[in-house]
Amino acid sequence: MSDIWRLVRLLAPRRGWMLAGLGLATLTVLANFGLLAISGWFLAATALAGLAGYAAQNAFNFFTPSAMVRFFATLRVGSRYAERLVTHEATFRLLADLRVWFYTRLEPLAPAALQAERAADLLGRIVSDIDTLNLFYLRVFVPVLTAFAAGLVMAAFFAFFSWPAALALILGLALNGMLTPLLTARLGARPGAEINRLTARLRAEYVEALQGLGELLVFGAAPQMQARAAALNDELAAAQARMGWVAGLGLALSGLAANVTLLAVLLCGARRFEEGGIGAANVPMLVLGAMAAFEATAPLPGALQYLGQIKAAARRIFALADTPPPVAPPALPAPEPRGYGLELNAVTLRYAPGAPPALNGLSLSVPEGRRLGIAGASGAGKSTLINLILRFHEFQEGTARFGGHDLRAYGSADIARHVTVISQRSHIFHTTIRDNLLLANARADEAALWHALEVAQLAGFVRSLPQGLDSLAGEGGARLSGGQARRVALARAVLKPAPWLILDEPTEGLDYETERAFLRDLLPVLAGRTVLYISHRPAGLALMDEVYTLRDGRATRRR
Amino acid sequence: MSERIDPRLMREGRRARGALYGSIALGLVSAWAVIGQAVILARLVEAISFRHILLPPLMPLIAGLAALFLLRAGLSHAAEALASRACLAIKSGLRAALLARLFARGPAAEAASAETAATLLDGVEALDPYFSRYLPQMALCVAVPLAILAVVLPLDWISFTVLLLAGPLIPFFMVLVGYRAEAANQRQWDKLLRLGAHFLDVLQGLTTLKLFGRARDEIRIIARISDEYRRTTMEGLRIAFLTSAVLEFFASLAIALVAVLFGARLIHGHFGFYPAFLVLLLAPEYFVPLRGLAVHYHARMSTIAAARQIFAVLDAPAPPRGTAELAAAAGIEIVCAQLSFAYEGRKVLEDVSAKFPAGKLTVIVGASGAGKTTLARLLLGFLRPTAGHILVNGQDLAEIAPESWWRALAWVPQTPRLFPGSVEENIALGLPQVDFARLRAAATRAQAYNFIEALPGRFATPVGEGGGNFSGGEIQRLALARAYARHARVLIMDEATASLDPQTEAAVLDALTALNEGCTTIIIAHRLAVAERADQILVLEAGRLMQSGTHAELLAVAGPYRELARAGEAANV
Repeated sequence: MSDIWRLVRLLAPRRGWMLAGLGLATLTVLANFGLLAISGWFLAATALAGLAGYAAQNAFNFFTPSAMVRFFATLRVGSRYAERLVTHEATFRLLADLRVWFYTRLEPLAPAALQAERAADLLGRIVSDIDTLNLFYLRVFVPVLTAFAAGLVMAAFFAFFSWPAALALILGLALNGMLTPLLTARLGARPGAEINRLTARLRAEYVEALQGLGELLVFGAAPQMQARAAALNDELAAAQARMGWVAGLGLALSGLAANVTLLAVLLCGARRFEEGGIGAANVPMLVLGAMAAFEATAPLPGALQYLGQIKAAARRIFALADTPPPVAPPALPAPEPRGYGLELNAVTLRYAPGAPPALNGLSLSVPEGRRLGIAGASGAGKSTLINLILRFHEFQEGTARFGGHDLRAYGSADIARHVTVISQRSHIFHTTIRDNLLLANARADEAALWHALEVAQLAGFVRSLPQGLDSLAGEGGARLSGGQARRVALARAVLKPAPWLILDEPTEGLDYETERAFLRDLLPVLAGRTVLYISHRPAGLALMDEVYTLRDGRATRRR
Repeated sequence: MSERIDPRLMREGRRARGALYGSIALGLVSAWAVIGQAVILARLVEAISFRHILLPPLMPLIAGLAALFLLRAGLSHAAEALASRACLAIKSGLRAALLARLFARGPAAEAASAETAATLLDGVEALDPYFSRYLPQMALCVAVPLAILAVVLPLDWISFTVLLLAGPLIPFFMVLVGYRAEAANQRQWDKLLRLGAHFLDVLQGLTTLKLFGRARDEIRIIARISDEYRRTTMEGLRIAFLTSAVLEFFASLAIALVAVLFGARLIHGHFGFYPAFLVLLLAPEYFVPLRGLAVHYHARMSTIAAARQIFAVLDAPAPPRGTAELAAAAGIEIVCAQLSFAYEGRKVLEDVSAKFPAGKLTVIVGASGAGKTTLARLLLGFLRPTAGHILVNGQDLAEIAPESWWRALAWVPQTPRLFPGSVEENIALGLPQVDFARLRAAATRAQAYNFIEALPGRFATPVGEGGGNFSGGEIQRLALARAYARHARVLIMDEATASLDPQTEAAVLDALTALNEGCTTIIIAHRLAVAERADQILVLEAGRLMQSGTHAELLAVAGPYRELARAGEAANV
C-alpha cells in the first residue's frame, strides 16, 4: 500500500484538478440520489395532501419540491458532462507529469539500468506500466473516494430520519462495494493467475510458432505444435469458465446486498413511522433513495481489479526509479582536460559486487591523436571498455586518467562533451532527418547539415526524398536501411567535432559491400581525432594505427 | 469502411447458440422478477404509509420480496456463468482454424509474428464481449423496456407516453448520432495513452541523447508533446462526451417528468398512490438496459475490428500444393531451369539456371539484395517460381507434396528459432523417437556439444522464451545440430555463420565439409571463408546468375567474384 501512497503524493501537485473531478463525480451520484429521493417524497406528499381535502391541497407548497426535482435532473446532466471532461483533462495532465518525473529519474540510470537482456521488452513494459499508473486517478482514486464521499452524505441524510436506516445503508454499501468485490477477487485470484499464465504461454507458443513457421514445417513438427496449442487453449477455456462462475457469484452477491439493504431500509423506515418519528412520505423517500444509492459503489469491483494492476506496475516503476546510479556524480565541477590522452592502468570493472570481472586488470594507453583498434570475441569486454570510458559504469580497481585527470572526476555528461560515439545501437529517432542531425549540434545551420550529409554520402538519398531534410526517419529508423542509419550516425559525428571518436561495432550487421563503402566515407571523419575502433570485423581495424585484442577483460597488442 | 459485423462471424456464433439463448432467457426472467419486485415493494410502501398496516400482517409480502431477491441473485449468477461459456467453443474453433491456415500458407508471407499472435489471442478474445455481453444486452434492451411499458400502460397512459418517447430517443441519439464518434474518440484516447510512442522512442534513444549531452532538454519536449496531445484530444472529447450527456438528459428528464406529472394529479386526488409509486420505481429500471448498451457498444466496435483481422488471415490464399511423393534415391540432384521470381511486380530473380550436384557443396555468394535468400526459399518450396522450374532428380518440385520434400531436407535459416522445451527436444525437433547418441553426434559436429555440457542441466536445460538464455552463436550451432540430427539428403543453410567468431566459424566449416555423407549442401554465404571450401560457387548479382565455378577458377578470371575476394583480402588484418 505504501507504493500507492507514494503514487498519490507524486500526483499531489495536480490536486486542484484531481479534487475538482472527484467533486463533480460525487455531485453526479448525489444528484441522482436527490432526484429519486425527492421524487418519492413528492409523490407520497402530494398523494397525502390530495387525500386530506381542499384545505391541505391549498396549503401544500407544490412549487419548491417540484422545482427541486427539476433542479436535480438538470444538475445530474450538467455534472455528468463536466465530470467526464474534468477527469479526462486531469488524467492527461497527470500522464505528462508522470512521464516527466520518470524520465528525470531514469536519465541518470541510463544505459546501465536498461542494459538488461531484453531491453526492448523492458522499455515497452516501462511505457505500459506508466500508462497503468496513470489509470489510478480515473479508475481507482475517483470511484473509491466518490463512493466514500457520496456514501457518507447519503447515510447522513438517512440518519436525519432513521439511524438504523443510515446504518443499514452504510453496511449495504460496504457489502456491495467492498466485501463482495474482495471476496470475488480472492476467489478469482487462482483462475485469474491461471488465465494470465496460460495466455502468456499461449502467446509465446504462437509467436515462436509463427517466427519458426518454416522450421516447424521443414522439420515436420507443425502437428505437434498445433496439438500443444490446442491443449493450452482448452486449459485456458477451462480457467475462463471458472472465472465466469466466480464473476457471476460476485454479481449475484452484490445485487443481493443491494436488495437486502433496500428491504432493511424499508423495515427501519416503517418502524420509525409506526413510532411517529417520521412522516408517511418519508418512507417511500427512503426506499427510492436506497435504490439510487448503489450507483456510488457500482464501479468499485472494477476499481479493485485496476488497483491490483496498478500496485504491480508501481512496484516495478518505483524499484527502477530508486536504483542508485551506477556512477556517483562527481562532487566538484569536472576539470578542463589537459590534452585528450587516455591512460588505463590495471583497471578492473565488475558489473555487480561478486560478479566475474568484465575488465580484469586492463592496461591501455591511447595518446592524443592516436587511432586504436580493439578486436575480440563477444563477451571479451569490448562494450565494457566503452561503458568505462563514457562513465556509464564505475570501475573498482586500478587507475584511469583522461586528459591528465582522474577519470572519476568526470561525470558521463562531461565525458560526452569530448567524445562522439558511432555505434550499431545509435538510435534514430522517430522524427525528421533534420531533427535527428540537429541532435548532435543544435546550432548547426542548413549548410552545415548538408555538408555533414555529403561527408556521410547521404546527401543524394536525402535530396531524392520528396520532403528532403524534413522527411520522417520512421519508427526506430525503419525507413532507413541499416547502412543509411549508420550514415546518419556518421553525419552526426561530423556535426559534433569532439576530439574523441569511439566506433562501437559500426559495421555490425552490414554486408560486405556496404561495410566497404561505409569505411571509405569514414576516413575523412577520422582526421585529426583520437579514435577508438571496436569491432570483431577486420575491415575497419585495418584503418587503425595499432590494434589490440581483448580477451577475458585484458588487452594484448596485436599489431 | 463497412461497420457491419461480418456475416461469417454470425455463422460462427451459431456454435454458441444454446448458451446465448439460455443467457438471454435468464435475462428476461430476471427482468420480470424486477417488475414483480417493484409491484411488491409498491404494495408494501402503500400499506405502510397510507393504510397504516403494521409490519407483522405484511410478513407474507416481505417474505415474497426476499424470495424474489434470492431468485434474482440465482438468475444473475446463472446468466453470467452461462454468458462466459458462450464463446469458449467459438474461440477454440477459430484459433485452431487460424493456426491451420497459417501453416497451410507457409512462411511465404512474412507477417509480423507478434501482430499475428495478437490476432490469434487478443483478436479472438475480443469476440467474447460481443457474444457474451453485447448480444444478450441487445435482447434485454428490447425486452425489458417493452415489459415495463406493458405494465405501465394500464396504470397510467401519460407516464407510458413519456417513457415511450424517451426510450427510443436515447439509442437514436447515442448510437446513430454520437456513439460512433465517441467510440472512435475513445479508441484514439486509449491509443494515445497506451502507445506513448514518442515516450518509448525517447527511452530507446536515451543513451544516444546522453552521448550528445541532450538528455535534459528532452524533459521539456516530453512535457510539450504531452500537452499538445491533451489539447487536441480534449477538443474531440468535448463533443464526444455530449453523447453521454444525452443519456443522462433523457433518463433524468423522464423520471423528473413522471414525478412532476404524477404530483400534479395526486394533489387533486385524481390518482392513487400505489400505481404512481409503482411507475416511479419502474422508471429507472426502464433505462438500465440502455445504460448497459452504452457500456457494451464499444465491444461491438472492437469485434468488428477483430473480425476484420481474423478474416484477413483466413481469407489469404494458400499457395497451390503438389501431391506427388519424392521418388526414393540415394542422392539428390537439384536443377534450376530458367528460374524467375517476382514479388509485387519487382523482379528478384531472373532466368537463373544452375545445377546443384548430388552430395556436393554449393555456395551462393552476392551482395545483399542479390536474391540469395529468395533462391533458398524457392528451393525450400516456400515460394513458387513465377517462371521456370526446379527439378529434383528430374521431378518438378511444384508437383511434389511439400511434406514429402521437407522430409528429405534440413534447413538452417538466417535467424534460427529455438522452441519452448529442453535443448534436447530442440535438437530432436520433428524426430520424436530419436536415440540420444545421434543427437550427441550432431551436437558435436555442430561445435555445440561442449557448451551444452557446460550448461547447468546439460541437454535437459530448458530453453527460455525466444532462446533468451543463449547467445546468437549458440543458437546458430544448436540449429546446426538440429539440421545434422535429421541425416537429411539435402541441407540448406542461410548465412549460417554470420554471428560466429572466426575460430568457431572455421571449426564449424571444417566439420561441415569433412563429414558430408553424400548430402547435397547449399550454403548462402556472407563471407568468403566458406566459398573456398565449396565444390561449386554461384555468384548472384541483382537477381541474375553472373558466374559459377570453384574458388580457384573464379579467382583466375576478372569478374564480380574476384572483386569480392579482393575486398575481403584488403580488409583482412
